[in-house]
Amino acid sequence: MTSPVYVLGGYQTDFARNWSKERKHIVAMMREAVLGALADARVEPEEVQTAHVGNFAAELYAKQGHLGAFFVEIDPAFRGIPTARHEAACASGSIAILAATAEIEAGRYDVAVVVGVEQMKSVSSTEGGDFLGTAAWYDREAKGIEFPFPKLFGRLGDEYDARYGLDDKHLAAISALNYDNARRNPKAQTRTWYMNEAHAMCRTNDNPAVGGRIRIADCSQVTDGAAAIVLVSPAFAARWAARAGVAIDAIPTVLGWGHATAPILFSDKVAESRGGQYVLPHVRRTVVDAFRRAGLPDVSGIQGIETHDCFTTSEYMAIDHFGITAPGESWKAVEDGTITPTGRTPINPSGGLIGAGHPVGATGVRQVLDAHRQVTGTAGDMQIGGARRFATLNIGGSGTTSVSFVVGFAG
Amino acid sequence: MVDSAPRPRQLRHVVVLGANGTMGFGSGALFTRAVPKVTFLARTRDKAAEGLAAAIRQVRSPTVADRVEVGSYSEDLERALADADLVFEAVTEQLDLKHEFFARIDAARRPDAIVATVTSGLSIDALAAPRSESFRRHFLGLHFFNPPNVITGTELVPGCDTDPAIVDFVETFAARELGRAMVRTLDAPGFAGNRVGFQLLNEVAQLAEEHGPSLMDTLVGRYTGRALPPLATIDLVGWDIHRAIVDNIHALCPADERRDTLALPPYMARLMASGTLGSKSGRGFFARDGKRKLALDPRTGDYTPIDELPKPEGVEFIRDVTELHRVGRYADAMACFAAARGPMAALAQRVIAGYIAYAYARVGEVTETIDGIDRIMGFGFNWAPPSVLLDVLGPEATIGMVKAAGLEVPDALAAAAALPAPRFRDAGVDVGKFFVAA
Repeated sequence: MTSPVYVLGGYQTDFARNWSKERKHIVAMMREAVLGALADARVEPEEVQTAHVGNFAAELYAKQGHLGAFFVEIDPAFRGIPTARHEAACASGSIAILAATAEIEAGRYDVAVVVGVEQMKSVSSTEGGDFLGTAAWYDREAKGIEFPFPKLFGRLGDEYDARYGLDDKHLAAISALNYDNARRNPKAQTRTWYMNEAHAMCRTNDNPAVGGRIRIADCSQVTDGAAAIVLVSPAFAARWAARAGVAIDAIPTVLGWGHATAPILFSDKVAESRGGQYVLPHVRRTVVDAFRRAGLPDVSGIQGIETHDCFTTSEYMAIDHFGITAPGESWKAVEDGTITPTGRTPINPSGGLIGAGHPVGATGVRQVLDAHRQVTGTAGDMQIGGARRFATLNIGGSGTTSVSFVVGFAG
Repeated sequence: MVDSAPRPRQLRHVVVLGANGTMGFGSGALFTRAVPKVTFLARTRDKAAEGLAAAIRQVRSPTVADRVEVGSYSEDLERALADADLVFEAVTEQLDLKHEFFARIDAARRPDAIVATVTSGLSIDALAAPRSESFRRHFLGLHFFNPPNVITGTELVPGCDTDPAIVDFVETFAARELGRAMVRTLDAPGFAGNRVGFQLLNEVAQLAEEHGPSLMDTLVGRYTGRALPPLATIDLVGWDIHRAIVDNIHALCPADERRDTLALPPYMARLMASGTLGSKSGRGFFARDGKRKLALDPRTGDYTPIDELPKPEGVEFIRDVTELHRVGRYADAMACFAAARGPMAALAQRVIAGYIAYAYARVGEVTETIDGIDRIMGFGFNWAPPSVLLDVLGPEATIGMVKAAGLEVPDALAAAAALPAPRFRDAGVDVGKFFVAA
C-alpha cells in the first residue's frame, strides 16, 4: 500500500440477537456497533471524518434505503460528515472497507469508521432466501427457486467432485469445526447450539437437504448483526499512539488487499475455469493479490484466516485457493488438523459464517475486526497463539465479488 | 482452577436421576455435548427412554442417543454409579425423596465421584447433612434454568463442606464444555436468581389484583429491560412452580426487608384450587379465545378480551420510552422513564426501583458481589441486570427513584452509585439487548 492504514479497534454486536423481536430499527444496530467501536478504539465521535456503511439489502429486509444517512443519526457529532453506503452482496462490508482505505491512502481524511449491517430475521426463511437470490442473476438463477444459494454452492461442491472427487464427510468436518470454534466466541450466533460432526453427517429430517449435497448443517446462518471498525491515517495514528501511550508500531495495519469480480452466472464461472487448476480463479487472484501487496510469499506468511464459509463448500474452496493445499486437495487440511485452532493455518477461530453467523453486509467488517483482535492478542478464548498476520476472504454472490485483506504487522 | 487440582479429573460418564423430568432430560442432553457416556435413569426403563426421546426433541439431534444409555432405579442405579464420574440428581423437589436417593448414591458411588443436585429451592447443606464426609466433600448444587439448551445462566452452589477444588472443576467444566454462564451463589433460599427475580414477579402479581394483569404487564413491560413481561413469565413458568418458589423464600427469610412482597396473593391460591396454573392449564393471568387475548380479572376470576378493557390513562410515557429504545438510545429512553410523572409512572418506577434496591440489598446474602446477581438476571432471566439499569439510568435518577418509592438505599447500591460507569463490565454482553422496544 502507498500509505499505511491503521486499524485502531472495533465492535461487533451479539449475533445471537433477534432485532425484530427487540422491535428495533436498523439504526439501533448501527448505533451500538459504531459507538462500541469508538469506545474500543478510544476515539471520540468528534474525531470521525468520514463513514462508510456496508449493507446488502435493507430495502428488502427492513424497507429502508439510504443507510449512509443513518450514520449521521448515531451521534450529533456526525452531522455534516461525508457518508456512503456500499453494496456487493455478501462482500458489501469489505467493499465499504476498501472505500475507506482508499480515502485514507489518498490523504482525503484521517479517521474513517466503517460499519457493516444487516437485519435478516424480519422475514421468513423462504422470503429471505428469495431476497438473497438477488445476489445472483435473479432472473436466470434464482427466480422461482426455493433457497437458490444453497443450490449454487451445492454445484460448487459438485464441480469439486467432478474434477477432484469430494467426500461429504470433509464438508461435515468443516461444519463441526466452525460450530466448535463458535463455542469460544461470546458473540457467536450458534455458541449454545447443539452440534457435532455426527449430526453434521446425519441424513435425517434433523439435518435436511436444502440444495443438492448442501444440508442445513452445511449452511451459514440467517443473522441480525452489525460490526464496525475504526481506520486511521499514519498522522492520526501517531497522535493517537502518543496520547494512548503506546508505540505506533504496536498498531496493526491493513497490509494488503485483493479485489476481483468474476462473471455473475455460476455456469459462466465454471465454464471459464474448466481445464484450470482453480475452480474459482478470480478468488485465487484476489488472495494472491492480497499476499503480494502485503509483501508475503504465500499463506506461510500468515498465522490464520477468517474466511467466507457461507456454505461448507465455500470454505472447502478457500482452503486450496489460499494455497494451504494443492488445488483439489483441501480434504488433506481438513483431515490433518491444519485448519483447527492449534493447526498450522487456523481457519475461522470465530466460528465463521456457519458458527458466528452471517449478517450479510456486516460479515466483511466482522472478519477484519476478528483479524484485528487476533493480531492484537485481544481475541479472548478464540486467540491463536503468536498471531502476527491474519487474512480475510469475503465473497459476494456465487464467488462473484471477492475481497481479501491481510491485517497485522509487517516483518 | 483445574490446573491446581491434585490430578486431572475427567468426566467420562454422567448419571442423570430423574431423566424423564424437564430438568432431567434437558440437562442430560446438555451433558452429551461434552461427555461420551450419559446414563438416563428413571422409575422405569420406559420412563427413562421417554426422557431420551424428549432430549432428542429438545436439541433436535438424533446423535444424543449415541451417547445415552437408559435404565431404572431398581435395576440399574448401583451398577451405573460404580462407573460414574458425576451423578446429577434431578428428581422431584421433595426433601425426603432426595434424601432417599442420596443415601443410595452415598453407598454406591465411587469415592471420587461428584454429586450435583439441580434443586432450585432446597438447601444444599440440608441435603448433604445426613451423608458421609466423602459425599459432602463432593456434593454441590448445579442449578440449570429451563430450558438449558437455550438459557445459559447457571447457579453453582457449594455447601459448607464442599471441596473447593471440586467447585472450581465443575465451574470450569460447565463454562468451557457446556457453554454455561456460571454464577457462584451462597446456599440461601432461592439462591440468587429466583430470590431476586421472583420478588419482582410476585410484587407485580400482587399489584395485578388492583390494577389488572394487562396494565401491570404494560407498566413493567419489556421496555423496562426484560424479554417477557412479568405476568406472562409466571404463566409460562406455571403458577404452582411460582407458588413453591415464593412460599419457600417467604417461609425461610423472615428478616427480608421486602417480605410482604413475597407473600403469594390470595387470589392466586384461590384460582389454583380450581385448576388455574398458567399456560400449561390453558389459563393464567392471560388466556386465549381463538385469536383474541384475554386477561384475568383477579377479583372475580373472569376473563375479558384485552381489546375491550378501558384504555389506561397516564401511560403515554411508555410510547416515548419505547420509541427511544427502537433507535438504540437506551440512556435517553430510561431518562425519559425516570422523568415520567403521574400515578402510573410512579407505579412502574416503584417496581423497577424495588428490583434494583432488592438486588443490591442481597449482596453478601446470595452472592459475594453484585456481579453474580447481574449475571444470573442477565443470562438466567433475560432481564436487564441491576448494574445495567444503574449504568443506563445513572446514579442520581436511580437513587432518586429508590427514595421516591419509599425504600431504603442499600449500602451496596450507594457504594456502586459512587463508582464510575460502566459498573457492568462483561465484554461479551451487548447491554442494548435487554431493552425491548415494546
